[in-house]
Amino acid sequence: MNIEEKIQRTLAELGADNAEIVQALFAEVRAAMEAERQGLISGGAANDAERQKACRALRDRWLARKNGIISAIDEHWLKPSPRELKPLVGRAFNELRQAGAELEVSQLASGVPIKPDHRSAAQAGEATQVQPASADPVAAPDLTLPGAHRALGSLHPVTQVLREIEGIFLELGYRTETGPEIESVYYNFDALNIPETHPARDDWDTLYVKLPGSKDNAAVLRTHTSPVQIRAMEKYGAPLYLIVPGKVYRHDNPDASHATMFHQVEGLAVDRDISFADLKGTLDFFVKKFFGSGTRTRFQPSFFPFTEPSAEMAVSCWACGGKGCGVCKQSGWVEIMGCGMVHPFVLKNGGINPKRYSGWAFGFGADRMAMIRYGVTDIQLFYQSDVRFLEQF
Amino acid sequence: MKISLNMLREFVSAPADVKRLASDLTRIGVNVESVREQEDDWILDIEVTSNRPDCLSHLGVAREAAAFYRKALRMPGAHLAESDIRAKDAVGIAIADTDLCRRYCGRVVEGVHVGPSPDWLRRRLEALGVRSINNVADVTNYALMELGHPLHAFDLDCIRQHRIIVRRAKPGEKLGTLDGVDRTLEADQLVIADAERAVALAGIMGGEESEISNSTRRVLLESAWFAPASIRRTAKKLGMRTEASYRFERGADIEMAPVALDRAAALIAELAGGEILRGSLDVYPGKKSRAAIELRETEIRRILGSALLAGKVERLLPALGFRVTRRGKTAWRVTPPSFRPDVSGEVDLVEEVARHYGYDRLPSRLRSAPPSIERDSRRAKESELTAGLVAIGFREIIPPAMVDPEENARFTAQPPVAIENPLSQEASAMRSSAMPSMVAALARNLDRGRHDLAFFEIGKVYTPWPNMPASSGPSAGLASLRHSETLADERRVLALGLTGSTGSAGVHDKPRELGFFDLKGHIETLLGVFDIRPLRFESLAARPYEPNLAGRFLHGNEALAEFGELRQALAAQYKLRQRVWLAEIYLDALMRHPLRPRVFRAFSKFPSAERDFSLLVPEEVTYEHLDQMIQGLARNEIRGYGPVERLPEGKIEKGYYSLLLRVTFQSAERTLTSEEVSDASRELISALAELGVRLRA
Ligand SMILES: [Zn+2]
Repeated sequence: MNIEEKIQRTLAELGADNAEIVQALFAEVRAAMEAERQGLISGGAANDAERQKACRALRDRWLARKNGIISAIDEHWLKPSPRELKPLVGRAFNELRQAGAELEVSQLASGVPIKPDHRSAAQAGEATQVQPASADPVAAPDLTLPGAHRALGSLHPVTQVLREIEGIFLELGYRTETGPEIESVYYNFDALNIPETHPARDDWDTLYVKLPGSKDNAAVLRTHTSPVQIRAMEKYGAPLYLIVPGKVYRHDNPDASHATMFHQVEGLAVDRDISFADLKGTLDFFVKKFFGSGTRTRFQPSFFPFTEPSAEMAVSCWACGGKGCGVCKQSGWVEIMGCGMVHPFVLKNGGINPKRYSGWAFGFGADRMAMIRYGVTDIQLFYQSDVRFLEQF
Repeated sequence: MKISLNMLREFVSAPADVKRLASDLTRIGVNVESVREQEDDWILDIEVTSNRPDCLSHLGVAREAAAFYRKALRMPGAHLAESDIRAKDAVGIAIADTDLCRRYCGRVVEGVHVGPSPDWLRRRLEALGVRSINNVADVTNYALMELGHPLHAFDLDCIRQHRIIVRRAKPGEKLGTLDGVDRTLEADQLVIADAERAVALAGIMGGEESEISNSTRRVLLESAWFAPASIRRTAKKLGMRTEASYRFERGADIEMAPVALDRAAALIAELAGGEILRGSLDVYPGKKSRAAIELRETEIRRILGSALLAGKVERLLPALGFRVTRRGKTAWRVTPPSFRPDVSGEVDLVEEVARHYGYDRLPSRLRSAPPSIERDSRRAKESELTAGLVAIGFREIIPPAMVDPEENARFTAQPPVAIENPLSQEASAMRSSAMPSMVAALARNLDRGRHDLAFFEIGKVYTPWPNMPASSGPSAGLASLRHSETLADERRVLALGLTGSTGSAGVHDKPRELGFFDLKGHIETLLGVFDIRPLRFESLAARPYEPNLAGRFLHGNEALAEFGELRQALAAQYKLRQRVWLAEIYLDALMRHPLRPRVFRAFSKFPSAERDFSLLVPEEVTYEHLDQMIQGLARNEIRGYGPVERLPEGKIEKGYYSLLLRVTFQSAERTLTSEEVSDASRELISALAELGVRLRA
């Protein structure tokens, strides 16, 4: 009975019922292993590829988890061994396994010399490879089956759009700033020239928060990212080139185009001799980058308390190119943001002298940009965490 | 504001093409939202921003058109046939609170016949969205639409002692307003009173008792100016918004008061009959002249980036009602008209010139920020972290930060920040834990039959500062907050939510249910993006987690991440039928650590040897103990090690569990001999023996 046959039987079947026979069996296996190893080393190999192949064949014969000789011994000798023999068999098996480490390819290969004139290692490998299992031709798998996937996750579409927008302004040397979402009425309104007494205050439907020790209506969930203008001016002074992406909140009943929480991007540039021309040029650059180089811009007068002059910027319709369609309500233009020259009152509140410095600012909804970019028709989808939606991005 | 093209044409010769008119008006900032044909007229719907009360009238819109088309502006005529009786003998007017009412004009029309308005008037008002009431009330509304100045008509015979007093209400004073509501007034609310009682809420709504009725014979017409802030405060407090209050709170034209009064009196006499008593009463204690503003060519160039516009100043500004006088070669003194409360500084004048010139004709220039050597490490860290998350299969969600405070309390003892005026109970607080939103997101998808989920969120949690100074006058304290201070404690967290199995069942894979170590592994991977030394793990008992399946990572005493299995009692409340794994990673703390440094270390050219050790470990000894012991050995030959298999306590021997430890030996200098490997192994085993560990026989 050769080793291949012995390892398919249990110790009981082999009649190994005492320590001596067991030790002899293990000794026989170790001897065979050492002989094969030495055979490979003395045989050498024709080249490195042959050597690798031969080493791997030998290693697999002994150490492969499936159908390897050591696995078979574990399965047939060790596991079913009788209780009284178990410690002995376990120790012998462990020693065998430790010795088997010599057969790892990295260990083996360094010992096998390259001998181009000698019998090729491939033949040597074949010669030792007499296992019936590997002699069977491997059945060809159906290679047209889909691959085994490791699925990637995804970034939220609004995050993707925010990053793209941020990236465009970073290219122009702007810095990113954030700021708190629970904000004082001073930063959110008063410092931005929106006093309680002016009806402009009603343009922002506000959610107020209660904080211990503060009186009613003193703190808000910021209604826009604009308070960061003041905070950043105070923190950095001029010159200042800034982009502020972030969450904002409105007391709005949710529908397809309104969300209680959404995202804005604020931009601000303060420097000497910043003019309306810089506002136009920079925003034109931005929309060409974002919507495509053929995009045109249109600026119309508007009103925001914190800018003067103020403008509403529209871009030529990306859907029809300006000819008029459903997207642009037949006008050829789609309004996407408010902008303007920073009001001197606001600069002053930020501690910047409006006689020396001027600035321009803009703000828009990032969710709307994401809706445009991906053809999303309902803003609520962004905030419902539905995998059927998220996996599309 | 609805504008009738026919009425507009009475003020200015506007172009026949209404579409062109609409686009020209929009171009100069009078935003025409829509245009529609109505019988023989066109109605333009104009969105008037809150700074332009003057455009809440046909006159105001006509003025803009006249300036743009360079046409004359025509005012409607007021043919006043006055009787011999003097108005001031019929009624007396006094202003008690001149801070809130700077001007009050009145006229009396006697012998009117109140009845329905003629067809043309009714049709015009209805086209503008104003309901027709009777000829007297309709005239006041019509003059309002024309000229933008709110008027009010009293039945003079209901005014006790025929005396009008403009004063603040007495605390608790009662007034029944025209909308049928009995109101109790407060001391800072301005009323129109007669000798005995309040008869109208000044600038907002008249009183029922002095309302014009079919039996009214004598009409007292009021045309006044009220302080915007006072009207706004009162209207807000009482929850009222009327055509009158809407204009007064934006700022009415004080000089228009007598003009509108005469126009309305003439129309009433024409349409309702009666005689206009001689003279108008005009109490005007608050007359102020407007300050002139200096406008410099250099400022136009500085703000607009173009000097071209300087030439337009002397034509455009006078056409818009400004008084302009030259000062030297390159500056002007400009006095704004009374109907433009929004213009108070030089930059406002720059805008006037720019918008009529056309924003699209202004120059355009791309300017970058000056280059900076500063590096935005926050951005780099966040992008590595999210790249890692996406690579290991997590999808980003952005759930609302507003939660039900009761639900929030199931997950954390930290109080949330309460919202004063929430839209609903479910969104009435700013969460102090990211867990409620995460569990809701998982539950929502599980409900829809998606069982394998891995979500992450980067968002904030909010909690009040523990010691908000309450003593120092809270509102003053808040207003004086500087940029570095925040009103509440806002912390950024990375939340993870994991449930289901290692993948969906397929032809290649047999998925396995996710467990604690899948989550722990993800967190180790993510923390591994950073260089955190020393990083410590400990088990954790915390509100949202199962007691024996939660842990956290710390650096020093600062927690970087807490995680575990969602407590099953909580899972049941969400009707979750599978195990859910959650984590909160504290980004503010994590981001203070540098990214894992990239430094190349040469690897050994010599072969390595792997040895497996089958260990019996006393049950009280954890893997961490073994780990520390092996690290303490500091044997250079031990290149790496890790647990390969673990059998629970008692399977092999009571009081011990079994652990298969795989150790890799390697030297940087030479190929290790079997003796050297054996030596190192022995040392390893004897070190572990100090912990009571022994080799399995
Ligand atoms: Zn279009």
